[in-house]
Amino acid sequence: MTATVGDTPIKLLETLHAEDHAWANIAPRYGVTDADPPWKVSLYATLECLSVGEALPSLERRHIEDRLGETLYRQIPGPEQQLLSLAHILLSRGLLSEQDLSERLRTVRQRLEAG
Amino acid sequence: MSSDKSAGVPARFNVGDRVRVRELPNLFYTRTQMYVRSVTGTIAARTYEDLTPEDEAWNRDDARREQYYIVRFRQKDLWPEYPFAADTLQTELPDGWLEPANN
Amino acid sequence: MSHSHDHDHEHDHEHPAAPMVEEITDFEVLEIAVRELAIEKGLFTAEDHRKFTEWAEQIGPAAGSRLVAKAWTDPAYKARVLNDAVEACKEIGIDWTEPTGSGTPSDYMNLRVLEDTPTLHHVIVCTLCSCYPRPLLGHSPYWYRSPNYRRRLIRWPRQVLAEFGLLMSPEVEIRVEDSNQKCRFMVLPARPGGTEGWSEEQLAEIVTRDTMIGVALPRAGRTADDTRPVHKARRPVPHETEARP
Repeated sequence: MTATVGDTPIKLLETLHAEDHAWANIAPRYGVTDADPPWKVSLYATLECLSVGEALPSLERRHIEDRLGETLYRQIPGPEQQLLSLAHILLSRGLLSEQDLSERLRTVRQRLEAG
Repeated sequence: MSSDKSAGVPARFNVGDRVRVRELPNLFYTRTQMYVRSVTGTIAARTYEDLTPEDEAWNRDDARREQYYIVRFRQKDLWPEYPFAADTLQTELPDGWLEPANN
Repeated sequence: MSHSHDHDHEHDHEHPAAPMVEEITDFEVLEIAVRELAIEKGLFTAEDHRKFTEWAEQIGPAAGSRLVAKAWTDPAYKARVLNDAVEACKEIGIDWTEPTGSGTPSDYMNLRVLEDTPTLHHVIVCTLCSCYPRPLLGHSPYWYRSPNYRRRLIRWPRQVLAEFGLLMSPEVEIRVEDSNQKCRFMVLPARPGGTEGWSEEQLAEIVTRDTMIGVALPRAGRTADDTRPVHKARRPVPHETEARP
């Protein structure tokens, strides 16, 4: 089976504006009343694809999510907690590298800001 | 999917049978929750045949399929001080986790 | 229809342009970055992701509501639902063997519908993770996945139901269904009074998600679930010692 995932903070993920950018905090600032952030469905599809492809079975992921949700990402609400946990698992297991992700975060933001 | 029914282990229990959940060592992966271990309940339904979660976790696709059952427990038997005598709880268990009970 | 993206030119007067979050959040960026890298590493394909997104966007509890409304008005259909729920779902347009139209995990293959009666009330939980009948009910609500609900419902079901505003008479048997294997479960609630002569469409409106999980009861005029804050674990009123592991 695959490597265990520890609760040690991951530097790259610590740099995110996790609480400030959480949907529950940011949506009311703009008067948005949708309960869920627009990216949630896409995240769910990613989780589903990872499970079906056996890269990350759902049950295993849920157990790790539960643990991280009570430790490292305790202050972060719903889908944001799931997304952080997913990134945490993929990085801890070497399925993604911190360097690749860091670089991609930068280029994705550039693309989105370019409109 | 449980398509290959011929390969299954013969089902040992019928609806209404009293069964006790076995106290087996926790392998790496199991779906049998601790709170039902060693508790006696009643078979409420037969569901399907499939591999056990333990075999699936180890990718043992050649392992034999087992009958699964929905077992009904009295809440009082799970939590001795539970105050409502009629309340129940059901959960699903594979054949190998069950043994006959006479009480 | 104007092709302008300017919200001031929105033509649908019944639904004025909704406000938007006018900044790019780190989570929006992270979701895209993780997905793109996973696809590039070959963990899944962009096509798989598109299919699952399409499916995930359109699922919701409406299919479950239709099933219940039809079962309430058609006793023969109810009998088919209780006998073979997967087959009966096909009659309302849900195929459990192919929910996304592109293959599916085997987890979806078994469904049982649990019928409430005046003396028996079902409520569903998955203590192991968050197994849920998604083809019929859509995505599970957040509280359903919370460790608090999962741990406490099996031991203190009446207290947890009371927190949802559902006080059950001691005369009614509460039956918790822990859906921790491959069967998925849905509650068929009892049809409430005051709905005599209603059409299936009218009935479906009062069959909300929560009534099919079993944390609420349908009644005439109740067409939406309450929003529910997620309770952090707190000490319930103990009716037994806490000592038992």
